[in-house]
Amino acid sequence: MSSTLGVLSDAERLFIVHGVQDDLRSDGRACEDYRHVQVETDVVSNTSGSARLRLGNTDILVGVKAEMGEPDPGRPKEGKLEFFVDCSANASPEFEGRGGEELAIEVSNALQRIFNSRSTLDLTALCIIPEGQCWVLYVDVLVLECGGNLFDAVSLAVKAALFNTRIPTVVVTADDEGQQEIELSDDPYDVKRLDVDNVPLIVTLSKIGHRHVVDASWEEELCSLARLTVGVTQKGTIAGLNKEGSGSLDPESIYEMIESGKKVGMVLNSRLKEALEKEENSKREKIGFLG
Amino acid sequence: MPTDSRRVPGPQDSRSPHWYGKHATRQEGDTRPDGRGDHDLRPVYLHAGVVSQATGSAYIEMGQTKVIAAVYGPREIARREEFTMKGRLCCELKFATFACRRRRQHIQDNQEKDGALIVLQALEPAVCLDRFPKSQVDVYITVLQDDGSALAAAITCAAAGLADAGVMMYDIVAGCSVRQCGERQLLDPSVGEELSQEGESAEDHGMVTVGLLPSLNQVSALTLDGHLQQQTAVQAVKTCIGGCQGIYPILKDCLVTSTRKKIPALDPKSSHASTEGQNGQT
Amino acid sequence: MAVHITLPESRKKSAAPDAPKHLVTPGDVITTDTGYMRGHGTYMDDDKLKASLAGVVERVNKLICVQPLKTRYNGEIGDVVVGRVTEVGQRRWRVDVNSRLDAVLMLSAVNLPGGELRRRSAEDELMMREYLVEGDLISAEVQAIFHDGALSLHTRSLKYGKLAQGLMVQVSPSLVKRRKTHFHNLPCGASVILGNNGYVWICPTVDDEKVESSGGYEQDLEPVPSTDREVIARLRNCILSLATHKLMLYDTSVLYAYEASRQYQVKDLLQPDIAEKVADDTRQRLQMESG
Repeated sequence: MSSTLGVLSDAERLFIVHGVQDDLRSDGRACEDYRHVQVETDVVSNTSGSARLRLGNTDILVGVKAEMGEPDPGRPKEGKLEFFVDCSANASPEFEGRGGEELAIEVSNALQRIFNSRSTLDLTALCIIPEGQCWVLYVDVLVLECGGNLFDAVSLAVKAALFNTRIPTVVVTADDEGQQEIELSDDPYDVKRLDVDNVPLIVTLSKIGHRHVVDASWEEELCSLARLTVGVTQKGTIAGLNKEGSGSLDPESIYEMIESGKKVGMVLNSRLKEALEKEENSKREKIGFLG
Repeated sequence: MPTDSRRVPGPQDSRSPHWYGKHATRQEGDTRPDGRGDHDLRPVYLHAGVVSQATGSAYIEMGQTKVIAAVYGPREIARREEFTMKGRLCCELKFATFACRRRRQHIQDNQEKDGALIVLQALEPAVCLDRFPKSQVDVYITVLQDDGSALAAAITCAAAGLADAGVMMYDIVAGCSVRQCGERQLLDPSVGEELSQEGESAEDHGMVTVGLLPSLNQVSALTLDGHLQQQTAVQAVKTCIGGCQGIYPILKDCLVTSTRKKIPALDPKSSHASTEGQNGQT
Repeated sequence: MAVHITLPESRKKSAAPDAPKHLVTPGDVITTDTGYMRGHGTYMDDDKLKASLAGVVERVNKLICVQPLKTRYNGEIGDVVVGRVTEVGQRRWRVDVNSRLDAVLMLSAVNLPGGELRRRSAEDELMMREYLVEGDLISAEVQAIFHDGALSLHTRSLKYGKLAQGLMVQVSPSLVKRRKTHFHNLPCGASVILGNNGYVWICPTVDDEKVESSGGYEQDLEPVPSTDREVIARLRNCILSLATHKLMLYDTSVLYAYEASRQYQVKDLLQPDIAEKVADDTRQRLQMESG
């Protein structure tokens, strides 16, 4: 059975391209509007932090596990972050077996790119014993459903999960023989949180016709030959840029897209922060997967 | 970590002695270690037709960075699932295990797969894919020595290889990169400048790589790592585009030289006979 | 630029609208009376009639069958379907109609350009690609059913054929009511084709006379004006909200939903709470009309 998610007729394509030119997309959105986003943190109990995010038809679940390990020889006073993305077969029948692997590698490379720099996350806060032990955060992303605009959804979910991550406080004592002992605090509420203010979010801008759109649905993705994924922090710094797709871009379009991505990214960051703080402050019941 | 069962692996937890040595402090001042200005390219040497068995190939040296690319095809696609009137371009990038300061694995890791995808997307807009339907062109790139700007060199080398193979293209792709260290923009950085952690605490630090189609002025590859302000990012991209335009004449020159060598030497008698035939007809 | 990030709402229990029906799950005993004939969705176990599907029990005189609530499309002769061409074969096209097997559209079952009536020649076989290629959308009627369950379609009337500019929405096939006609020219300024297979096609109003003269081949590729585009986008969002809230789709319900949605902006209909309000308003109005 062939999948119909990968093709559009020429007339449909033309309809979408003309719509984008008029700033009125197929579902009524303007070129810079996002679909509805629903986020919830702390949905998986066995993790140090987790988040579930729904953007249109895309559903992402992220779990962060904090484990102790050895730091990189080149960066002895810092902890580490490891990303792993899994496009599960329930997301789309095309992901069965090894089908989703290529897409998973692209997403994990995009995450690696924006988290590469030191300004993103203060990794020195994850150090336990310099050159000895540090916290390694394993960030695992599970794509439950794929309905277009995977990169944005994954980066939103990862930021929410990191905001939710609670690392137990450790006390390092030197015992009689001069060996260093690590003790975990008994109190389950004695935890350290991460400062995620500088964590960037990815905004994908798809070039359709002569204009670009944000948060493309899968039909719009099929009409765009080139996409630019921009990592934007709350302050408006560009934290990573990558052009994708088999088409080429005019330098002027690129500058416009960067400008647009920065504007949208800053709004996205502040709205996510508001939603996460609202969730933290209200004592609501967890809905999890029953909603 | 995927293991390779066919080779004898080295010890898993071996380390380079480099980490135990004292790190040389960087030279202060405005000059770069090799004496170039901030916006100067390293000397480029490009030679096409180095792999005799391939349909086309190229070898590039940008300073000490050495990259070789081989192009095979167009040939029939092995497994064809659906009908398509467009050809396919496949790209594989591999760093030789001894290419970088730290020994790399035999098997392609994520960074190499990412690089291969960037080179593929850099070349696709330039190739006339509808001229070879149901066929595939394979580009294999190996970085023999990485002394900075390996990805940019790979893009340029692969484009020269495709031109050498006689694949129809709209334009040749040139690649260039820039390292932003605080306020300084260093064009075509060497590996020391790429990996230097200087300026990481400053607002702007990052590495930009651009692939450009020079005569059409279209950007086909763009990657930015690090943190930059929007204006700085735009400036860096503009500098890269300038750098690509600078590499373009060298690319053209090299391809013209290699094409000239391929033309068979003209026999004076046969050329005289053909002009007579022409006069007879008119 | 609009970005909405909210926390998920718990699922509300919807008010039971009608009298409770006889709902069964696989393995439930429907009746132990042996006087009944077995229909679709049931099996005999000893002397008991058990259900093999999760659905509603329907009793017609002596025939008992179980109608599933959500299923792949099962075609019947005379149904109007909207399908996407997946393959161009020898003298036939394979069309995906959301069924368990792709439907077949024979070359002899389509109209030739200009309305000619003649036997199909070998040249016509080679020219198949000129008419329909992979990805094209068509509207057709079910002519026959092969013994393995695959449908055979035909586009012999001028109202069927290749579809031009517009957009397609996918809903569950059980939500589309079987009516006399499935082609509706809505007074709001757009045309809708409610395919029995769950594929709904929305396009700008088709001028019937223009279609007659060209024989169903010409595609109008002029850009669609913004007013029409807005109507189409609004209809799309209304149909999706009706489908999410499990309301039957037919011309009246779509029209009522459209009127209920006029007070909101088109893109606001993507928010789940506003979509729910529109669906509720439509349900109430339909109940008032019928009750």
